[in-house]
Amino acid sequence: MIKVNKLFKTFEGRGGQIVRAVDDISTEVAKGEVVVIIGPSGSGKSTFLRCLNGLEDFDDGQVVIDGIDLTASKTNLNAIRREVGMVFQHFNLFPHKTVLENLTLAQQVVRKRKPAEAKEKAMKLLTKVGIAEKAQEYPSRLSGGQQQRVAIARALAMDPKVMLFDEPTSALDPEMVGEVLDVMKQLAKEGMTMAVVTHEMGFAREVANRVLFMDFGRILEDAPPAEFFTAPKEPRAQTFLKQVL
Amino acid sequence: MPAKRRSPQWPWQGLLVLILIGLAAGLWFATQRIHYEWRWSRVPQYFLYHDEASQTAPVAGVVLAINPSGADSRIELQPEGGGQPVAVTVETDTLKVKPGDAVAEDQDLGAVRSWKIGPLTWGLWVTIWISFVSGLIGMVIGLITGLCRLSPNPTLRGLAILYIELIRGTPLLVQIFIFYFFIGTVLNLDRTVAGIGALALFVGAYVAEIIRAGIQSIPRGQSEAARSLGMSATETMIYIVLPQAFKRVLPPLAGQFISLIKDSSLVSVIAITDLTKSGREIITSSFATFEIWFTVALLYLVVTSILSQVLFWLERRFARSD
Ligand SMILES: Nc1ncnc2c1ncn2[C@@H]1O[C@H](COP(=O)(O)OP(=O)(O)OP(=O)(O)O)[C@@H](O)[C@H]1O
Ligand SMILES: [Mg+2]
Repeated sequence: MIKVNKLFKTFEGRGGQIVRAVDDISTEVAKGEVVVIIGPSGSGKSTFLRCLNGLEDFDDGQVVIDGIDLTASKTNLNAIRREVGMVFQHFNLFPHKTVLENLTLAQQVVRKRKPAEAKEKAMKLLTKVGIAEKAQEYPSRLSGGQQQRVAIARALAMDPKVMLFDEPTSALDPEMVGEVLDVMKQLAKEGMTMAVVTHEMGFAREVANRVLFMDFGRILEDAPPAEFFTAPKEPRAQTFLKQVL
Repeated sequence: MPAKRRSPQWPWQGLLVLILIGLAAGLWFATQRIHYEWRWSRVPQYFLYHDEASQTAPVAGVVLAINPSGADSRIELQPEGGGQPVAVTVETDTLKVKPGDAVAEDQDLGAVRSWKIGPLTWGLWVTIWISFVSGLIGMVIGLITGLCRLSPNPTLRGLAILYIELIRGTPLLVQIFIFYFFIGTVLNLDRTVAGIGALALFVGAYVAEIIRAGIQSIPRGQSEAARSLGMSATETMIYIVLPQAFKRVLPPLAGQFISLIKDSSLVSVIAITDLTKSGREIITSSFATFEIWFTVALLYLVVTSILSQVLFWLERRFARSD
């Protein structure tokens, strides 16, 4: 479903020095697979994820989503992005739209669905994430956990083939983390292809098919969670795990 | 902790009233010193006046009959050379002929009175519609320029910056002269069109900067979320960024349009009869210099206050989603 080949992305820092945010990453995510990406802050996890749906244009390498090459000149990035849902750390709901409108807008604008059809789909998803009764509220009236569930539903409304999560629970109060993770587990169970950047090791252990450990823009370890959490090979992964567990 | 004792407000309010009274008294003494005679009664006629249009006989002949109908009277005239009688209607209390009278052609038979709009009202109207039209055009120019200013295309960005800097770096009065005497002559523009054009270009540059700041104030996460749903850059701008930016730029835009109404007084220099020009013209005939200027100032104040109230109300309506 996702194929990444020799991906490079550098940023120019303030002092003019080059930051290699993504440094020669090659990996694959199969259909229905859940991959959890972990690593210290600044290791390039977000940047890597954002390259996968073209939010960040990378310097070199190849990203193929469902057989379509992002870098090919004839590829329409907008057409790819609608197949790749993304959930952000800070939700990024549209504050001037109600919860329902947050879910229906892109369906109508991008997928050209009829209002009734879009609304039906939206209500079904809101029911699924357990906040159908908030459909007419504005996002600012919702708790963080509720907002993040709306954000997940908003991404799902486009019927994506892949879902990317960038620290979806990091901005939440602890008591709300569970409700968001439950929605994500449900999604994984239904066979969604997912790439998740998270610090929730419990989630990684329970749901992930593979754990990718990143540092300095590279994937240092790629292993099933059972293996990774019990016997990490990389010394840096070992230190990282000692710090977070 | 003891509650902070509120010092009483009334001594200060009293002082405020005293100062205002002092200012009014000062004004009165000042006009006494220059022996200015206030003639406020002359002002209302410049808003609205009762016009008497005298009605004359279209032909020479004899008054056959006068038929009253309401406040008017219908005069039936038998033309001298024979033929169909003709009728003239005047107001009864201005009637100057009796049945049987012989009248000459063009003789005054009476008058019809009507309310006419005075130059102040007319000038106010011109000021309002010139401001409105140039504000509307300026808004469109500003929106386009603001978007160009943020465009990744260096040509569009350069043009936008050049335009904004040119306008913001030169006085409006000079711009109006250039627009009227140079561009207006080259393109053979009417003075009103030139005035509106100069004002629109002027306000457009300021609106562009306001729009740019508004768009930049919307967090990047908003457009990233929209793009990640597959919206194009244009769709993101239209559905996500601009509506949110618009809400934020409403207060500075309001200020800009209020300034525009005041700045529009400068078009009087190219002989557009707006409120200011009307005031100047009236003064030459009425000699009520102070009264007219005070009235003109008050009219501007009324228009700008109404506008700021309307925009304030609009702002509150848009605030419902926060
Ligand atoms: N827009 C940018 N401009 C310049 N440097 C950037 C930019 N975005 C990221 N970087 C740099 O790239 C590196 C990787 O950043 P990234 O956000 O991908 O890390 P991360 O693993 O997601 O970290 P965190 O866990 O803190 O979110 C960092 O050194 C960061 O400073
Ligand atoms: Mg990150």
